[in-house]
Amino acid sequence: MFKKGEMRELFDSLFAKSWPMWVGGILLAVLNILLFVVKYPWGSSSGYTNIGQNLFQFLDINSLGTTVPIKLHTVALLNIFIVVGAFIASLFSKEFGIRVAPIGELIKGFIGGALMGIGATVGAGCTIGGFFTGVAALSCGALALAVGFAIGTFVALRYLLWEMEALPKISSGKSFTFLAGTGKKTGWQRWLGWVLIAAVLYLVSTYTSKGNAMKVMGWHVLFGLLFGMILQRSRYCIVRAFREPFMTGEATAPVAVIISILVALVGFTVFKYFGVGNSSELAFRAIEMKAVYANFWLRALIGGFIFGLGMTMAGGCAVGTLWRAGEGHVKLWMSAFGFVVMAPVSRLFIVPFVKGILPESMQKMLFLPDILGYTGAVVLVLLILLLWYWFVKWNERTGKFSAL
Amino acid sequence: MQVDQSLNCIGLSCPMPIIKLNKAIKSMESGEVLEMIGSDPGSKSDVPAWCNKTGNIFLEQTEDNGAFKFYIKKQ
Repeated sequence: MFKKGEMRELFDSLFAKSWPMWVGGILLAVLNILLFVVKYPWGSSSGYTNIGQNLFQFLDINSLGTTVPIKLHTVALLNIFIVVGAFIASLFSKEFGIRVAPIGELIKGFIGGALMGIGATVGAGCTIGGFFTGVAALSCGALALAVGFAIGTFVALRYLLWEMEALPKISSGKSFTFLAGTGKKTGWQRWLGWVLIAAVLYLVSTYTSKGNAMKVMGWHVLFGLLFGMILQRSRYCIVRAFREPFMTGEATAPVAVIISILVALVGFTVFKYFGVGNSSELAFRAIEMKAVYANFWLRALIGGFIFGLGMTMAGGCAVGTLWRAGEGHVKLWMSAFGFVVMAPVSRLFIVPFVKGILPESMQKMLFLPDILGYTGAVVLVLLILLLWYWFVKWNERTGKFSAL
Repeated sequence: MQVDQSLNCIGLSCPMPIIKLNKAIKSMESGEVLEMIGSDPGSKSDVPAWCNKTGNIFLEQTEDNGAFKFYIKKQ
């Protein structure tokens, strides 16, 4: 059937070396397009909120309201299985290891996660559902979120550089690595990876055998697994896309994100334009408005700024936190914990306040084609992406905005 | 290889290793060699890319039980 070593070759081509980030970007965009038709395009922060609500409920803190159980929440399932998928991919590639950062870093992780929890709920979107999906879905608020992310990232990076000079102790001190997977003795890591793959597939089959609604849940488990593996292998990172121009000046990450938005833009626009899956006028509009939220412009700008601060402190956005947590970075476990705890609290106490003080005109639900038509909207998004590309390449060459 | 300075980045994740590396290199003399020890798999591509960008010379990389060692010569 196969010659000796051929299966090994296939395995190594996937797991021996990291993939270029843009390859991951294309694959993530394709999965995102598929998710659009399965139920709703890719997002992450509402999953954190759901997990947090369930946690508070479990602890008998019921003032935060009751909620859907995690096993019936598609985004929470995606989040959990992104961690599992990244864990499996890092076991296969022998990159798993429990990495305990110094205590100061762990605290920064928690604060970063908490800020992301506030930012994502206030701005009605994170880097994934609000930005990556949002821009491709022709949402006006997504563009305002991006501006907020850029400002927040810039400020937090300045803080990190200042901290390195003024308070170097925060990032120094006792740190450890356990169960690391390099070397020859770690065959158990790969076996554990296979066992987990089998367990996840079994779980998918238990969902899909229970009728149509549960089939969708089962597919989200599978999507989460694939997202997690692709994210870990390509080290796809939206924080880098916003931070690198201001730090090292490298354009690799922003270019990868631009490519993934372009691919998703094609798929989403086709689905929205033709109303794929619609059965009535009402359903057609609901499909058009997928991933468009009531946050344009100041609401998204404020939320994006807070989120940008948080993701840069934590060193991972909503999804960057998940796949790095799966790879074993304890700082990102703290970030996920901060996000989960803070998102439901912010949703209940901070968001109503912000929505109350902002005028309606600053938290609009705006779909670009409603103003510019489909052609105008797509051309505008393409121009913005082109401008972003020009900026990062020019900055890579000249280093005008890079701190290092 | 003669190592002039050593930098411990065990447990740290992106972007802290690169920020620390940048600071450490700044304090060194041209021609000196820095040994950086880290545990973030991201450093495997980040450190050579940073060297490439800043003109410092990436000498060698070794890997042992989850710890990566990078040797960098200041330009």
